[in-house]
Amino acid sequence: MRLRLWRRASRLHAMDGFQKVLLLLMIVLSVFMLLPIVYIFNHAFKPYHELFVYPPTFFVKEPVLQNWNELVAVTARSTVPMVRYLFNSVFISGLAVLLVTAASALCAYPLAKHRFPGYKLVFAAIILTLMFAPEVVQIPRYLVVSQLGIMNTYFGHLLPLMAMPIGVFLLKQFMDQIPNALLEAARIDGANEFTVFLRIVIPVCKPAVATIAILAFQSSWGNTESSALFMMDEEMKSFAFYLSTLTNNLANNVAMQGAAAVAALILFVPNLIVFVILQGKVIATMAHSGIK
Amino acid sequence: MATILINHVYKRYSSSKHAVVSDFHMEIKDKEFLVFVGPSGCGKSTTLRMIAGLEEISEGEVYIGDRLVNDLPPKDRDIAMVFQNYALYPNMSVFENIAFGLRLRKLPRHEIDQSVRRAARALELDAYLDRKPSQLSGGQRQRVALGRAIVRSPQVFLMDEPLSNLDAKLRVQMRMEIIKLHKTLGVTFVYVTHDQVEAMTMADRIVVMKDGLIQQIDTPEAVYSTPANTFVAGFIGSPQMNFIEGRIQKEPTGRLAFHTSRFAIPLPQDIAAMLERHGLIDKRVTLGIRPENISLEGLYSDAVITGIFKLDELMGADRYLHLEIGQERLLVLRVQAHIRAVEDEPLRIVPDMSKALFFHPDTGVRFA
Ligand SMILES: Nc1ncnc2c1ncn2[C@@H]1O[C@H](COP(=O)(O)OP(=O)(O)OP(=O)(O)O)[C@@H](O)[C@H]1O
Ligand SMILES: [Mg+2]
Repeated sequence: MRLRLWRRASRLHAMDGFQKVLLLLMIVLSVFMLLPIVYIFNHAFKPYHELFVYPPTFFVKEPVLQNWNELVAVTARSTVPMVRYLFNSVFISGLAVLLVTAASALCAYPLAKHRFPGYKLVFAAIILTLMFAPEVVQIPRYLVVSQLGIMNTYFGHLLPLMAMPIGVFLLKQFMDQIPNALLEAARIDGANEFTVFLRIVIPVCKPAVATIAILAFQSSWGNTESSALFMMDEEMKSFAFYLSTLTNNLANNVAMQGAAAVAALILFVPNLIVFVILQGKVIATMAHSGIK
Repeated sequence: MATILINHVYKRYSSSKHAVVSDFHMEIKDKEFLVFVGPSGCGKSTTLRMIAGLEEISEGEVYIGDRLVNDLPPKDRDIAMVFQNYALYPNMSVFENIAFGLRLRKLPRHEIDQSVRRAARALELDAYLDRKPSQLSGGQRQRVALGRAIVRSPQVFLMDEPLSNLDAKLRVQMRMEIIKLHKTLGVTFVYVTHDQVEAMTMADRIVVMKDGLIQQIDTPEAVYSTPANTFVAGFIGSPQMNFIEGRIQKEPTGRLAFHTSRFAIPLPQDIAAMLERHGLIDKRVTLGIRPENISLEGLYSDAVITGIFKLDELMGADRYLHLEIGQERLLVLRVQAHIRAVEDEPLRIVPDMSKALFFHPDTGVRFA
């Protein structure tokens, strides 16, 4: 332990002035980034008089569990049990992570490594879609989902998520870096195209894949749009949507703010967990990739 | 049996009409160690990759054994390839890297285990089987790449500059290992390099290429002593062969001599006869002579050139002397290291004219 501390300290010594300033700046910045998370955690435990105090405080002074009881009380009153919403969300998010990464990778691989005629056009089109705000595509999305007849199904939740241009972009950039010789070596070793993709390309791109998994999880876990637009039955709607109904309907109502604070925390925690788990992978693979 | 027949093969990249490999035609013998050598961009790798099936053949045919392989994917050609930058799978351990090809062939586990360990032992990789490629040195990585090729026991080994990323000492060591490997495996090796020392030391036969064209296919000895043209003569051998521009003239005595504006050297009988046969009297020619075939003036010689000593390079046992003799380039001769000369002083030297070669001054083709 002391040895490690000593090594840390010596590394600090090895830095020049500019690096030290940079380090300080980074620390300040990351503390600043951390504030909303601190706020969410503290908010859930604030008694009512603290929830509405002005100016708002980051840290709770007298933590209570009253907000949690309130949420339990509210959910007990709803027609569909909360676990159903939770199941929907877990199911959808899990599938979304798999499908989005699979779709993005399958799309990026030929763009990066197969240079078929017109690949530039396809890639440009995908980049172009990055520029559209989500609201712009709400109506076309609705049309697609309704024309396909997948309203009110899980697939209706998933399909709009699956086209993730940022995922394709990120993976393509990453795959561009893979030396062709690596793929050629695998082909000579007897791998077919799919084996090359699955056994070589994907593992080498693990950091990018993990990043996309995080993005995919976040966009599906927090997604309320598909529940609001494409789902008729209450049983098909997502947890995020359910929590938003708790709070939105009561936006200017003092009564439910405690429950809303807890809901925000519950909605946030899985994001944090997924991020922490996958982020470790991102760093580990970056360090061991050994690509020159 | 793995003779490789490369039948008038051309390669054109779609982006340009001009062929990067033109009319490549040769037969590589079974169990031969063949080396492609040539300057950067001459199409060595492209040719090798066409044999491997990594590059489409624009025109012509390639046969491995008696199979036409033009439309066969690499994995069905029964070949193994070693790449310049090793191309190890970074996500797999050394063991898995070597085993990958065998796993894809669905060999039973104990067999895979056995072959991998045997190859690892042969290449002294036993201790590193659990490591990732990023945790190995350059030489170790290259040995893993060799191991990966060996275990598949292919008919043909293809290697594209496998040693060029290694330092000089390691390169010599790995060179020996590859020669040993070729002896023990007894299969056909096709080896690409731009290093003429590698080509000379390893090859059974050398293919010298330039601008996508074969210049000469021959044994290392023949390529060295009887190069087909000035390009081959200049490319093989270090320091480079000296080229002297001049003219063949008949002396009043009836003997032939090689004349430049500065000096004249009488020619030995057999060479004179050869030149006469080609009708080169009173014609311009390029004389080629290797640095080791020129000595400092001996007791008796009639072929003496006087040059002005300009600079020297010490190469350990040898010293290269550079002399100004009225040509575009300085003349280089190789002498023993203890011999010193004074700058800008004249020095009398004797070329061994029995070793001299004569080339066409414009096409560069050697007269034989
Ligand atoms: N994909 C490609 N598209 C167009 N031209 C190419 C392509 N690959 C190679 N070339 C060209 O083909 C020629 C031969 O290339 P090649 O890689 O065979 O050279 P090389 O002899 O292996 O050289 P080096 O010693 O530098 O590896 C070069 O002039 C190169 O510019
Ligand atoms: Mg090359």
